[in-house]
Amino acid sequence: MTDETITSGAADDVSRRRFLRVATTAGAAVVLSTAAGLPAVSASPAGAKTLRVYVLVVDGLRPDEIDPHATPHLYALRAEGTNFPQARSLPVMETLPNHVMMMTGVRPDRSGVPANDVYDRDEGAVRTLDRPSDIRVPTLLERLAGTGRVSGSVLSKEYLDTIFGERASVRWEPEPLIPITDHAPDLATKLALSAMVDETDPDLVFVNFGDVDRVGHADLTGTSLGLLRAAALGATDAHVGRFVSELRDRGLWESSVVMVIADHAMDWSHGHKLISLQAPLEADDSLAGKVAIAQNGGADLLTFTGPEPERSVAVERMRGIALSTSGVLSVHRPEELRLAPDCADLVVYCKAGWRFSDPTPISNPIPGNHGHPATAPIPFFVAGGHPRVRKGVTSSAAATTVDVAPTVGELFGLPPIVGGYDGEIRAEALFSREE
Amino acid sequence: MNRRQALRTGSLVAVGGVTLAGPAIAGGAEQPFRHGVASGDPLPDSVLLWTRLTPSADATPGSGRGGESGVGWEVAHDADFRRVAARGRVRTGPERDHTVKADVTGLDPDTWYYYRFSWRGSTSPVGRTRTAPAVGSDVARLRLGVVSCSNWQAGHFAAYRHLAERGDLDLVIHLGDYLYEYGAESDAVRPHDPPVEMTTLEHYRRRHAQYKTDPALQALHAAAPFAVTWDDHESANDAWAGGAENHTEPDEGTWVERRAKSQQAYAEWMPVRYEPGGKLYRRLTFGSLVELSMLDLRSYRSEQVAHPFDGGVHDDERTITGTEQLDWLTSGLTTATSQWKLVGNSVMISPVQFPSTLNTRELEAITGIIGPIEGVPYNVDQWDGYTSDRAAVLRALRDHGVSGTVFLTGDIHSGWATELPADPLTYPLSGDSVATELVCTSVTSDNIDDYLNVPPRTLSLVVEAVIKVANPHVKYLDFDSHGFSVLEVTPAHVRMDWFRLADRTDPDSAAEVTASYRVPAGTDKLERAPRSMDGVTPRHEAATDDERAAARRQALARQEPR
Ligand SMILES: [Fe+2]
Ligand SMILES: [Zn+2]
Repeated sequence: MTDETITSGAADDVSRRRFLRVATTAGAAVVLSTAAGLPAVSASPAGAKTLRVYVLVVDGLRPDEIDPHATPHLYALRAEGTNFPQARSLPVMETLPNHVMMMTGVRPDRSGVPANDVYDRDEGAVRTLDRPSDIRVPTLLERLAGTGRVSGSVLSKEYLDTIFGERASVRWEPEPLIPITDHAPDLATKLALSAMVDETDPDLVFVNFGDVDRVGHADLTGTSLGLLRAAALGATDAHVGRFVSELRDRGLWESSVVMVIADHAMDWSHGHKLISLQAPLEADDSLAGKVAIAQNGGADLLTFTGPEPERSVAVERMRGIALSTSGVLSVHRPEELRLAPDCADLVVYCKAGWRFSDPTPISNPIPGNHGHPATAPIPFFVAGGHPRVRKGVTSSAAATTVDVAPTVGELFGLPPIVGGYDGEIRAEALFSREE
Repeated sequence: MNRRQALRTGSLVAVGGVTLAGPAIAGGAEQPFRHGVASGDPLPDSVLLWTRLTPSADATPGSGRGGESGVGWEVAHDADFRRVAARGRVRTGPERDHTVKADVTGLDPDTWYYYRFSWRGSTSPVGRTRTAPAVGSDVARLRLGVVSCSNWQAGHFAAYRHLAERGDLDLVIHLGDYLYEYGAESDAVRPHDPPVEMTTLEHYRRRHAQYKTDPALQALHAAAPFAVTWDDHESANDAWAGGAENHTEPDEGTWVERRAKSQQAYAEWMPVRYEPGGKLYRRLTFGSLVELSMLDLRSYRSEQVAHPFDGGVHDDERTITGTEQLDWLTSGLTTATSQWKLVGNSVMISPVQFPSTLNTRELEAITGIIGPIEGVPYNVDQWDGYTSDRAAVLRALRDHGVSGTVFLTGDIHSGWATELPADPLTYPLSGDSVATELVCTSVTSDNIDDYLNVPPRTLSLVVEAVIKVANPHVKYLDFDSHGFSVLEVTPAHVRMDWFRLADRTDPDSAAEVTASYRVPAGTDKLERAPRSMDGVTPRHEAATDDERAAARRQALARQEPR
């Protein structure tokens, strides 16, 4: 995309941020914003920079969907670098908690983000954790910016964009947003990524491609769902392939580390296999009107909202009711899953092929869901032409989403965050500095 | 001098590809360690050593004669025993048929060791064994021999010899039917001892002892540690918790007593961490690469239903594992931290329909292997006869998002590679599978061509094609060959190569590779490998492409409405 130009290089000063409007080959304009007072464009000339890291999250991609026919670029990229076939998403297997784990390196009991939706005790309501203040620890994005480097966020989903907010030195706000799914199509995301790399050459870019997940959720029946999913996979794969060839064409490949991962997988349920806990909980006299349910697709977070002295007895009743409901796999205290104890009293998982629909059986009509253990396996591989990337390796290591920050941090020589990481540096993928 | 003579008499013998000084094979009748040496169930810091002492001429197996004796053992880093790592003594006597088991501890992980026994100035053949890698450690590769169904009377154990000579095996898995209970048969390649069906302790001990005189079996035990489980023939055909098809009360005593005798002899004569009254099912771990769960599918199972239409097949009160073992298996699989979850599984877990497009003669031949079948037949002695337990296992894998489970199976005297459908109804469209199953063929025991009494790879090709058409999750099937399998496990894949003996009645039989399939990590699906792990292009299914295609056309033609 050599003919890209800045049509409006002048900065509009709005709330300490400057806006860059970048025209792309597709004719659309991409708007990037940068924080005032931080370097928005990498200070070092492109040739001098020796490390660039791109964390590409293909939202909702299952590891078994990467194959030579459906996703040839991802397949080839995976074979080139270090693959972690055992990789798993962490509870709750949802978008927000796992993206936050990737960028913080800590589990939800420290990051503050245990699920997409939780019952907020202070506000007395179930809400989506889409506010910048919901993340309670520093992320790689602002930590890297604090060292004088440039970080970028290209997040296709609106709630992802808003929770990470202005943490990156350069931010693309997803547009155009598709109604209902509230995400920008991968084509727009890819254009924004390329424009950001062209214009500001960040040291680190955190990218979310939302199409594969959003098509996975779509309420479509029969084989057309499979066809649409396959089409989305193919298209997203092509975007990744094009981005990689741009890096090669621009001579950036030898300094690049490309980490490809999903935040969770996807599982499909049949229409009748839905679980609604609201009705049986309401039918219990001691619980009626006193349980808030934050429905997260494959996981229900139950919070007792009645008087404190009743809580422990009530929670055991809630557990019993959940366990006796068909389709329920297991019930956990949040601490068992390393979620903060105040995020819920109980986390209820469904079995494979089921979904939660709360408060009512029509609340969740979509067949594709995640959040439950069946959706834990994810693709995770480290590729790129950077000399530290080990080529053609497969590792048995039980890699997880929380390992991303420690690994990226190690590449940049950042110290761990205060209190240390919960994740591990995936050294299996990297030659040590001395090697 | 051919290779076999070398194995029997040589003073310099290659065991596991390493030349050992001293007799590796205990051929001589005077030798006090004439039943060879063995090792098994390796842990990161220990391994179980086994031998049998014959302290006097009259102390023959099963006789109950011969005195108490102390036997010394040594474990060294080198075959010359210059760098000894551990040594000790154990007592044995007639109460345990003079068998010796030493659980050697304090060893280094992931290390080759040499071992031998000594008694009154005599030393045993030297064996080679290997400890498991440390818990959680990275393991680049494991290679395992996989065998089952070694019937002395049906042939010679050339399969064991080929495995012994490879030199690259970290472990050998024996999936059961290590020995057979039948009395001597007139048409046997070599007759059983004792000549009667084994029912008493003396019989079981003598039969074990006879098998342990086979030079190829001795060579393989000396070459690598074993992990074993039993199937039915170690006690009696089609055994279950309360009896066996081949057990008649009261003529052959009570089943409880007979089974106890078979288990006592098994514990005495096999290199296994099992003692009567304990559990045979157990788990071995090989770093972060492999957890191997060895199952016992005979001790706790409900009686087989009489025929496949019996509703009991789906009865959730009926079990093949028993409740405790089922919980142990499912919780082990769902909490495993190792990448590959291998399951040593004596009978097939994949659903297999033997379709009505098979003709009577073909069905009779299959009956020879799996027992009586009627109508739309299933093998009710496999997990197909216990669908509730199977559903619980597969359900747990799916619900917990577990990948990398590979069932390693024997029993059915044929080679199979199958995918385990997540949902059999949608599998033909979706192809979604939750695990895979790799079935090794028999070392010697009869299969279809033997029952049909036709040359191998003729009629059976059509039978195989018919079964594959009716069971799309079956990717590979060879109903004729006898031999062994080699399993390779790496972080990138599990792959099995199937080897077929040219002639099971020839102790020097050649072997050729006839299939190689791999399960790429994270897929739970099978793909055919163009070359074997030894770099050879397999003659797939021991047939030509044209022969396989013709068989498939015949199978499809049978599907036409009649
Ligand atoms: Fe058997
Ligand atoms: Zn997501």
